[in-house]
Amino acid sequence: MCQAEREASKIVQKAREFRTKRVKEARDEAKNEIASYKSQKEEEFKKFEAEHSQGNQQAEDEANKEAEKQIQLIKEAGKKSQAGVVKNLLAAVLEAKPQPAVRA
Amino acid sequence: MSQHALSDQQVDNELRKMTAFIKQEAMEKAREIEIKANEEFEIEKSKLVRQETDAIDSQYEKKFKQATMSQQITRSTVSNKTRLKVLSARQELLDNIFEDAQKKLNEGAKDKGKYQKALKGLILEGFYTLNESELQIRARKQDYDVVKKAITEAEQEYKKKVGKDTKGTINEQQPLPEGSAGGVWIVGGDGKIDINNTFEARLELLKTSAAPAVREALFGKNENRKFVD
Repeated sequence: MCQAEREASKIVQKAREFRTKRVKEARDEAKNEIASYKSQKEEEFKKFEAEHSQGNQQAEDEANKEAEKQIQLIKEAGKKSQAGVVKNLLAAVLEAKPQPAVRA
Repeated sequence: MSQHALSDQQVDNELRKMTAFIKQEAMEKAREIEIKANEEFEIEKSKLVRQETDAIDSQYEKKFKQATMSQQITRSTVSNKTRLKVLSARQELLDNIFEDAQKKLNEGAKDKGKYQKALKGLILEGFYTLNESELQIRARKQDYDVVKKAITEAEQEYKKKVGKDTKGTINEQQPLPEGSAGGVWIVGGDGKIDINNTFEARLELLKTSAAPAVREALFGKNENRKFVD
């Protein structure tokens, strides 16, 4: 009888140990799942950043090209019209259009 | 009649039954514990995972939002920079043009006939604006002759248009510096009011008043402009 009780006790003890082990397993497995979730999110994020910094670079290059084009146009307009504009300005300096004051 | 105690075999049986019973109870109890353990495992694990993944989700939502915003800021900064580049190129051209005009200012005084005509107009402007019967004129020493003639012409036209007399006298105590490109000052109000009609001053005024016209002449009409007064 005593032996039976001892054996019974062992059986229950084993079950209790199993329970403790399960709690720890829960924490460990959770930790792993969480870690892999996080690294998956981080990968998504890094991909997002990389795509966008590339997009930014493209946008900047295009904008610079466009600016260069415009600046070129400005220089050409200058070459074409500068002399004429200067002439007109000098003429305006010389030419006053005097008007007598109009009495109300 | 004497009752015997249980026979050996019966005792044996009883013992066996009790042993089996104890074992059975233990196993049932152990089973219960195992089931509970597995339930707790599931609950604890899914609780931990959900807590942490929620936190991670909100953390990354913030990160994504910030990254998007900083990208928008970068784009806007770039577009501003390039716009400024273009605008400053335009301004440079304008500045060059006015510098060019500045250098050529004194050509206006070379042709005496044209210069006299111009001076008449400048002096007349002063006459009309100040509207006094006596005014002082400041000019370059080398211009005195042509200025005197221009004053006379201006006085005549003033009389014609306004019907009053006015007299302009050169103030020889205060000539304009030789380095000036040309033009005159007209002084009235007992020396307190003056009109600077020198070439330099007029060009300076043109920098603001003529800028829109110059821009249009160089770059064409501005489609984006909303206010033209």
